Amino acid sequence: MGDIVVLVKPALNPEMIRATPDGSVDVDAIPLKLSDIDRNALEEAAKLKQQLGGKIYALLVLTWGPVAKRSRDLSMVVQEALAKGADEAFIVADDSIIPGDPVTTASAIVSALKAKGLSPSLILAGEATVDGFSGQVAGRVAAKLGLPYISFASRIEIKDGKIIADRDLEDEVVTVEAPLPAVVSVTREINQPRPPTLLQIRRAAKKPQHKIAASELEGLVKPKREYLELKVLAVKRKQVIIEGETLEEIAEKLVEELAKEGVISL
Amino acid sequence: MVEVLIVGDKDRDIGEALAYFKGLGEAAALVYGKGSEEAESIKEYGIKVFKISSDNPEEVFNALKKLYEELNPKVVAGVTTKNNRDILSRLAGLYDLPMATDAFDVKVEGDTITYKRGVLSARALSTEKAPLPAAILLAPRKVAPAEKPGGGIVEEVKPEAAPVLKIIDRKAKEKGGVNLEEAEIIVSVGRGFKNKEDLKLAFELAEVLGAQIGCSRPIAADLKWLSEDHWVGLSGKKVAPKLYLAIGISGAPQHLAGITDAKIVVAVNNDKSAPIFKNADYGVVADLYEFIPVLIKKLKERLSK
Repeated sequence: MGDIVVLVKPALNPEMIRATPDGSVDVDAIPLKLSDIDRNALEEAAKLKQQLGGKIYALLVLTWGPVAKRSRDLSMVVQEALAKGADEAFIVADDSIIPGDPVTTASAIVSALKAKGLSPSLILAGEATVDGFSGQVAGRVAAKLGLPYISFASRIEIKDGKIIADRDLEDEVVTVEAPLPAVVSVTREINQPRPPTLLQIRRAAKKPQHKIAASELEGLVKPKREYLELKVLAVKRKQVIIEGETLEEIAEKLVEELAKEGVISL
Repeated sequence: MVEVLIVGDKDRDIGEALAYFKGLGEAAALVYGKGSEEAESIKEYGIKVFKISSDNPEEVFNALKKLYEELNPKVVAGVTTKNNRDILSRLAGLYDLPMATDAFDVKVEGDTITYKRGVLSARALSTEKAPLPAAILLAPRKVAPAEKPGGGIVEEVKPEAAPVLKIIDRKAKEKGGVNLEEAEIIVSVGRGFKNKEDLKLAFELAEVLGAQIGCSRPIAADLKWLSEDHWVGLSGKKVAPKLYLAIGISGAPQHLAGITDAKIVVAVNNDKSAPIFKNADYGVVADLYEFIPVLIKKLKERLSK
């Protein structure tokens, strides 16, 4: 008992976005990375591990494929999760559920937990992923499992078999309490993820990795969302660097340009 | 028959969501938390309003689940807020409904819904299609709220079971009194400022321009020099001013995601390789401590009163 499952997404890296000649997103050319806020979830799991006394399992569902082309990216994400403190990794990578969607990801997570006999005290996830940013998988998983759900946690404390957390909402911080087991999504502010040490990286290579095929998963729901179009949003900025002999001259030129643009009036 | 069930805790948000689904048929709303106090005004949209005073997401979800089963709507919608994300993701999970957030240009045709949304840190625009029934959270402040013809009714919904999630404390966040979404000019500050006191340079510039003050993530989230309502970016506010001045902001992708709708972006930074310059219309490579006072002086001379 006392295990923690961290939901880790191999996400498209938005900083490496590539376009095809017609302006569509060249999905196949964008590498995957461990989604940023999932790092905070891993860090929090590492902190809570001693208190809960169990193991940390990273659970990954590949949503961008094909599997054959993504295996290197995927294995880097798995290695990173293991180096950051996960003891073992469970990986669902199957072309039959690619491109995935949150309906499928949540059902895959729930059936993978059942198939592998995992019954964690805590399931942690980042509040949203850097590619889709819809922040719905953790809530779906909680509802499917019938577990309490705490979203947008910026602080977590485990006390007497209960979890106490601060939910960081738009206008207020709401402190809530729920019994374990529970599902929690964390914000970027909950901690400062530490980069893994060399020793952690070396150890990661030896940690167990379990591949799960879609055929092993009962109750897997096929993706429902369909992409009709995925276009690169080219924000065309003028990128004019204003230069001059003196700061005075630069300020003058800038003010003139802004007036010409009609955003200030002289 | 109710085709659209709107979920929210603000009159304006309910109005915007209704505007998206005008013409789709009968709508009803579940309003929770502070929104339940506005139920009498919300019913003036001419809809049936179910109200629950709790804003505990588990209790609201339980109420929503019951209404969803009774009414069988094609669409469950609301404006994208954190509590709405929480509540609708539970419903979507329970019934395997497709769900989208920050959606706009929504069209319902037959038994499918299509919509657009920004993905990849606002670097790409996705047009997606999903089968009904579906849960859709909409991008805020893109449409005017629906008209209020009057004539609705209010009904209270009582949760059946006590939630396992308990609210034990709540603290209002400090507010800087800014409304960045509506600002015409924003002066935004980043880590280029070395001390909190130095922000007065930016305040002075903002005063001369009649601008509001924004900031990047570290200033609000880590250093807490400014309250979070000043925070511009993916996790902060998405802004659309005619002029955005990024002072001492390097231009992390999450920050840039918040300013894609700005008309003109000006960057002042002493690091000429800062990514903000590739995402600015006009750039000044200079020490902000030297340049901003000069710019303030120049603007005072030149701006029409």
